[in-house]
Amino acid sequence: MSLTRIRWMAMVLGVLGVAGVLVLHWLVFFWVGTERTMGIVQRIFYVHVPSAWVTFLAFGITALCGAAYLWLRDERLDWAAQSAAEGGLVFGAIMLTSGPLWAAYAWGTPWTWEPRLTLTLLMWFVFLGYFLVRASAEDRLAGKRMAAVIGVLGALLIPLVHVSVLWFPSLHPQPVVLNIDEGPTLDSDMLITLMVGLLAFTLIFFSIVIFRYGLEHLRYQHALETRDQPRAA
Amino acid sequence: MTVYLRQVAAIVRKDLLLELRTRERLAAMGGLTVLVAILFHFAIDQGLVRMQQLAAGLLWMTILFGGMLGMGRTFEMEREHGAIQGLLASPIPLDGIYLAKVISNFVLVALIEVIALAAYWLFFGFDYGGDPLLLAGVLAVATLGVVAVTTLFSAISAQTTMGQTLLPILIFPLLVPVVIFGVTATGRIFASRPAQEVEGSLYLLAAFAVLSLAAGAILFRYVVEE
Repeated sequence: MSLTRIRWMAMVLGVLGVAGVLVLHWLVFFWVGTERTMGIVQRIFYVHVPSAWVTFLAFGITALCGAAYLWLRDERLDWAAQSAAEGGLVFGAIMLTSGPLWAAYAWGTPWTWEPRLTLTLLMWFVFLGYFLVRASAEDRLAGKRMAAVIGVLGALLIPLVHVSVLWFPSLHPQPVVLNIDEGPTLDSDMLITLMVGLLAFTLIFFSIVIFRYGLEHLRYQHALETRDQPRAA
Repeated sequence: MTVYLRQVAAIVRKDLLLELRTRERLAAMGGLTVLVAILFHFAIDQGLVRMQQLAAGLLWMTILFGGMLGMGRTFEMEREHGAIQGLLASPIPLDGIYLAKVISNFVLVALIEVIALAAYWLFFGFDYGGDPLLLAGVLAVATLGVVAVTTLFSAISAQTTMGQTLLPILIFPLLVPVVIFGVTATGRIFASRPAQEVEGSLYLLAAFAVLSLAAGAILFRYVVEE
């Protein structure tokens, strides 16, 4: 894919995504009904859930592209894995900040060791490790491979981590207030707003990932071009 | 197969022999283990909590920190003298090298577990109750999981400028299952609960160990390849 095509694609997705986010905010602030028990703060839900979805998506892409990179050694797969991981880190941060803000009001506590919370927090740290290894690797190529290994191993072990934390509460009684599963099923206006949020965030995510991918592409081209030219005296 | 096992055994023997002669890692790990126990004594108000209630948790934290200190240096000696090149160029399959490193690390961590158990018994009079065989089994299976993950990641952190500083950030998120089920199982054994209550945790620890060992053996080649 040529660089211009990549830029165009990213631009279009980005514009659509930003438009989607604007619509989402209008829906969230003026249209969707207020949830009965949690009140106005429940609206954070429409930002929180889409960012969580995107984080998981990013993690999956990073792991798959990482595994494919180890197998095929195509630079482009590494760019994709890295770009997705960066997106995952950012959207993970959004999820991990919007969550406690909502929880502080809805549950009365910003954090609880509920399985999903624990899992996503740990996943964010795996992403962090992914970048620390890339950044500090003595050899650039080894850094790429090691980062891919972290992505793959993370994807393998994270389900086990999830199972563990899922069963962990059986040791400790779970506070009843914190149970968000037994809330009322989603009303249609809430469902629509959520869907808009999911779509908008996904578009923005892919826009960022493709832009980032284009940047790596550009760096690669630059490295190739400067290598061919004789150094200026 | 026998050749493979002999190759693995050769590396294990070399590692343990070097450790026996220098006692570098063991001294640091064992020292840290005892010191952590001493710090816990001052860090925890024993008028408020009974140390026995925290026994399993303290033990596992000590094992993780002590073990990490030594395991972070798994490939240090080979790197310092460039011996890693020779090792990688030798006809030993890369997963064989990984397995050998896992085994020698396992022996080291098992030793510091004995030191930790002794230190906590000495300082806090922990009652280890329960079936000692079951305790040994749980510790062994859980340790295998820890060692399998940490050995792979020590090969990664050894190739970064951050070195060992990076290791805990990489492994702790992935070692959460070992902490959960290791602490659950050892806690129940210390409380002399029936073996059935430990079984479930033991199986999950075994699953973690098998999965991370297999993943490590497969992924190790990508970490060290030149």
